[in-house]
Amino acid sequence: MTEPTIIEIRHRVAAAGLGTLLLGGAGAAFAHTIGGQDAVFVQGISGPAVGPFVYLGAKHMVTGYDHLLFLVGVVFFLRRLRDVALYVSLFTLGHSVTLIGGVLGALAVNAYLIDAVIGLSVVYKAFENLGGFDVLFGAAPDARLAVLIFGLFHGLGLATRLQEMALADEGLLVNLLSFNLGVEAGQVLALLVVVALLFRWRAGRRFGRQAFVANTALMSAGFLLAGYQGAGYLLVGNS
Amino acid sequence: MTAATPRAVLAATAAALLLATVALVAFVLPAEYGVDPLGSGRAMGLLALAPAEQEALAEASEKYVTDTVTFELAPFESVEYKYRLAAGDGLVFSWRATGELVAELHGEPDAAPAGVADSFELTRAAGRRGTYQAPFAGWHGWFWQNRGTGPVSVTLEAAGFFPAARIYHDGRVQEIPKGTPPGSE
Repeated sequence: MTEPTIIEIRHRVAAAGLGTLLLGGAGAAFAHTIGGQDAVFVQGISGPAVGPFVYLGAKHMVTGYDHLLFLVGVVFFLRRLRDVALYVSLFTLGHSVTLIGGVLGALAVNAYLIDAVIGLSVVYKAFENLGGFDVLFGAAPDARLAVLIFGLFHGLGLATRLQEMALADEGLLVNLLSFNLGVEAGQVLALLVVVALLFRWRAGRRFGRQAFVANTALMSAGFLLAGYQGAGYLLVGNS
Repeated sequence: MTAATPRAVLAATAAALLLATVALVAFVLPAEYGVDPLGSGRAMGLLALAPAEQEALAEASEKYVTDTVTFELAPFESVEYKYRLAAGDGLVFSWRATGELVAELHGEPDAAPAGVADSFELTRAAGRRGTYQAPFAGWHGWFWQNRGTGPVSVTLEAAGFFPAARIYHDGRVQEIPKGTPPGSE
């Protein structure tokens, strides 16, 4: 077997790191970080680097299934593009505030706990989609307010991951704004696919029944995420 | 969507919670954290995926070795230096550099495809020291890169039970046997 070269090695490290990090895996001390070559790069940066941070933000969003599951829940029953834009803007407003504020204010949160809350946000949204609040409590909390508040938690999750790397102070604000811009770009990209598929699905006759099952599955995924990260907090603790 | 009945919503919520709990306890806890209350992790071999347990005493099979190595890094030059460690083997180390380096402590598991690595610490520092315990069998060590404008010299001292070390530099990998008796090197 020929030995891999340094360049190959670094690339594969990046690929492995991407798998661990972006899929939100826990279970080991390195699980919540931005991985491999990406992380080496981010640590090496001193000064503004718009392009790379936009890219990393977009990559984080497109490959982060916790954020994607929540967004699927949010747009599930939105039939008008105007509503999609409104709800996604509220989500964006929420997570931008805590992403930028969290890093600049050095707000430290336990990564497992914040990821567990993000899992619960999926549960909440799926329960709302099932009509749970109306049917069981007679009234539902304002869906727009809920999206804004959960957006704050998702942003805190992003801020927590970014802070685990030693970011240089020089150009920090520009880099943060770039990362945030990338998050939005990745979000729009993912939503285009999700919304298009949902529009097609809704046209089908059996959508009503399937939607109920789909949101039950979504809720189960949210419970599983919350349990996975909550167990991580209890078993691995403050990493 | 047609209005759901309270009964249907409660049933759906209970089913979602039950499904998630079963998946968590049966598969996720054993695979991710090595916690296996049902024995399903052992039955399906999932426990192997969990990080190795940290025992107070870990007996080593290989001979005790000490190692000191120095690298000179020109601006933007990088090098990797890794030891052959069995799962659970400890490595006591200290490295110091004459300037700040980007350093990454990582390990390449034998089970993974060549070159795949798990990263344990990424830092910008002029030195680190500590105890590393290999969570899996493979090659474990550091990637150092000089991001400064002048040359930096880095010296690593390590003690452990490694039969060999590898230097990755300039696209080449060089393997050096360790633990040979003094004078025979």
